[in-house]
Amino acid sequence: MSSEPIERRVSYIGDRLKGSGCSLCGKEYFRIKDYCGTCGRKSFGKMKDIDFFYESGVLEVCTFVKQPTNKFVKLGSYIYGIVSFHNGKVRVPSRLTDCLWDDSEIDISSFEGREVVPRFRRRYTVEKTEVIPTISLTFTFADEYYPHQEYEIVKPRKEYETPGIVGYGVYVPRFRIKEPRMERAVPFIDEDAITAAVEAGKLALIHSGIDQTLIGKVYVGSESNPYAVKPIASKVAQVLRLGEEDKTEGLQSVDAVDTEFACKAATSMFKDATALVYYPGVHMSYAMVIGTDNSQAAPRNEIGGELDFFVGYGSSAFIFGKQDVIAEVEGWFSCTSDTPDFWRRDLQPYPRHGGRFTGEPAYFKHITKAAKKLMETLGLQIGDIDYFIPHQPNISFPVKVAKALGFKEDQYMLGLQVARFGNTYSGASPIGLAAVLDKAEPDERILLVGYGSGAGSDAYSLVTTSQIGEKRNRQKFNVEYQAENEHIEYVNYDTYRKLKLGL
Amino acid sequence: MPQLCPVIMGVGRTKFGEHYEKEPEKLIEEAWLKASVSAGIERKDLDAAYISDYFLQITNKIGIEEGFLSELTELHIPMEKTRSFSSALLNACNAIQAGKYDLVLVGGVEKMTDRWEKIRDDLMLLEDPWSYYAGGTPEANHELMLREYIKKHNISGENLEKLNIALAQISVKNHQHATLNAHAQFQREIKLDRVLAERKRVNRSLGLLDFAPISDGASAVVLASPKVAKQHTSALVCVAGSGSATDYITFPAREDRTSFIASRIAMQNALKIVDVQPNDIQIAELYDQSTLLEMISLEDLSFSKKGEAWRDVYTSCRDYQGSYMIDGRELFVNTNGGLKADGNPLGATGGAQVFEVVKQLQGEAGNRQVKTDRELRFGCIFELEGFGTKAYVHILRRD
Repeated sequence: MSSEPIERRVSYIGDRLKGSGCSLCGKEYFRIKDYCGTCGRKSFGKMKDIDFFYESGVLEVCTFVKQPTNKFVKLGSYIYGIVSFHNGKVRVPSRLTDCLWDDSEIDISSFEGREVVPRFRRRYTVEKTEVIPTISLTFTFADEYYPHQEYEIVKPRKEYETPGIVGYGVYVPRFRIKEPRMERAVPFIDEDAITAAVEAGKLALIHSGIDQTLIGKVYVGSESNPYAVKPIASKVAQVLRLGEEDKTEGLQSVDAVDTEFACKAATSMFKDATALVYYPGVHMSYAMVIGTDNSQAAPRNEIGGELDFFVGYGSSAFIFGKQDVIAEVEGWFSCTSDTPDFWRRDLQPYPRHGGRFTGEPAYFKHITKAAKKLMETLGLQIGDIDYFIPHQPNISFPVKVAKALGFKEDQYMLGLQVARFGNTYSGASPIGLAAVLDKAEPDERILLVGYGSGAGSDAYSLVTTSQIGEKRNRQKFNVEYQAENEHIEYVNYDTYRKLKLGL
Repeated sequence: MPQLCPVIMGVGRTKFGEHYEKEPEKLIEEAWLKASVSAGIERKDLDAAYISDYFLQITNKIGIEEGFLSELTELHIPMEKTRSFSSALLNACNAIQAGKYDLVLVGGVEKMTDRWEKIRDDLMLLEDPWSYYAGGTPEANHELMLREYIKKHNISGENLEKLNIALAQISVKNHQHATLNAHAQFQREIKLDRVLAERKRVNRSLGLLDFAPISDGASAVVLASPKVAKQHTSALVCVAGSGSATDYITFPAREDRTSFIASRIAMQNALKIVDVQPNDIQIAELYDQSTLLEMISLEDLSFSKKGEAWRDVYTSCRDYQGSYMIDGRELFVNTNGGLKADGNPLGATGGAQVFEVVKQLQGEAGNRQVKTDRELRFGCIFELEGFGTKAYVHILRRD
């Protein structure tokens, strides 16, 4: 699509699968319609907005596309068909995603009649200079890796004095590559940092049960935004309809901004989100922080290729507020120095890495300082902390820093998730935090220490509340579910590079 | 008041296929000259012209087609552009019936091979943008329709096998017809096994040989009011009645995805105007963009019962004698080879259909002339724009 206005209009409808329903006769439409074809003029003003973003549908009929049109060629072969929503009230064209097909025979009828979930993805290939087209007319089977989950807004029942986390979500795809000591998450070819951010945000909303119109700010931290200039956060705000929506103008009443500081782009903003929802002058109920990365690494045989053994793909989203808090933010400490241990120059596709200088003068110095200083400020001993979650670029660094600080295995093992998903950069320590929150009991203390090359660390102390258990059943798609899923598909190195490069 | 039926005075066409060396203007010139010779008229006799092309604007960046035609004919008469030949013909008929013109040129041209690399994207985007955005291909909707058809009519086991063979037989039959058509893109026979093998190769229910090709070509018809026609000739084939209808652009959004409602309406309206029954039609040029569409059209145009066309095809083609046998009556379908073998240069396709039916009704189809004991009187041409988004039926009658 070479026209930005057309791209904006198609995305505005297609990303969210917006539709309309006639409140007189009940007829429903995909795409926004001001009147109903059956009821005619009397239905003017009586059409209600519906969208299918959180719905599940049924793949009614399908066919196997082996020779796509030019813009879809990079997707290879795929299943294409008709998906119906609301018992056939609405039917849309659809592409099944997250499938790698070999040349073996497939039985089309085995796919028909199955429940599918819309997935927000890149639409097709365009020139690198163009706006990236997205759409949610892409689906996966609900009985496979990604289940259908209702998004139900639940009225909050308790207001807390101290703000904290009210909901969170983690998204990693079903594709993995196996390394000697770890598994790494691999995006499907139509995924990128933008699509993962939207997925994680969606999952966080489902988990929190908050009204998304009450979110006043969304931060998206990433170092792999496919745009040099254009925020991911604006896409997240639009697709997830954060803040009040002005439908006539297509505007969301929300502040959306991208942040960048290598792997701490997201954790750095936890304190800002916490402070925002606490500010007495302006009432902002919730703020969302997303860390998303299609972690970049040069191919193994090139300079910077050493990262290619560790990088993952995924995203995490945390919602901060004062109502129905599951973990209060007790305090924080940050430190920074201008240490160039990892960088990527403008227009370069892959980052460079400071080799052995990424350890002592960078990762260890900053994490140790931040952790110690925060514990000192809050008067905490090692024994007061139930879970320690440092940034995790590989397996050895976090274990080494945990041991050096005096933590025992049962304090740091649950939060150590890098061996399952790889280094998800700005999503890395937040995924560890999510894994801990998935399991933690009330009144437990979590020490999270993010680290970003360049370099800096943010340490947070979080204390879980009595409400931590009650939201768990809303999120089936938790960290363990994604790590130990029977539908995970392993790919080889060549496929991994191809998928990671994207459309 | 009896219907005033515009008369087809002459027909002309180019060979369909790839015309690497020729501009679209050269193609339409060739078709128009042949039609004018066949009609025995001069260009200055023309009152107006209607020209159709589906997407010359995209394939050849030709913006104002009428200007090219004006320059070609060196005329300044009213000219209008439509998307399909059937649409141009309908507009010309309407104008003649309204008493506005007496002699009209109807032409169609398409130059698809000039945009070979991008044509499937263009075709799908124009057919339905949202299906394109979801990953649809020009072939996909045909296959989805077939799936819906099989499910709706509960076709399985041996019957499903027969249906699949029947569809392949359509392709085989149309290629067989085209061997006698010097204008056809593919003047060669194909074997049933190859049609089936092509499907197997791509793991799909319809394969390469189930679909009409990408083609270049042009066609033209000279249409006259009965008054003017009678001054030139006594053997008259007229457009006895026409029908057209529309449907949603998005195929998945349609209520019934096993037939085209637009085709049904167009046919019913045309039959009503001519006051005939479907079984009065003896020869039909159907829109076999795929083998499935020829089969579906047999039902949509009320030749076959719903859910039964594949049986009619299967039975007729077991020992093919040149026509389908439906309820004991002959129906000659796509005697020029259809879109599959004659070719499918979109804007010109309908003109080739008219060309064929006129030649057959006049008994001038040469070695293609259908063999029947009955006097040939009624033929019809059926054309679609998009995937059933627009449908046109013209019933031609020899008076």
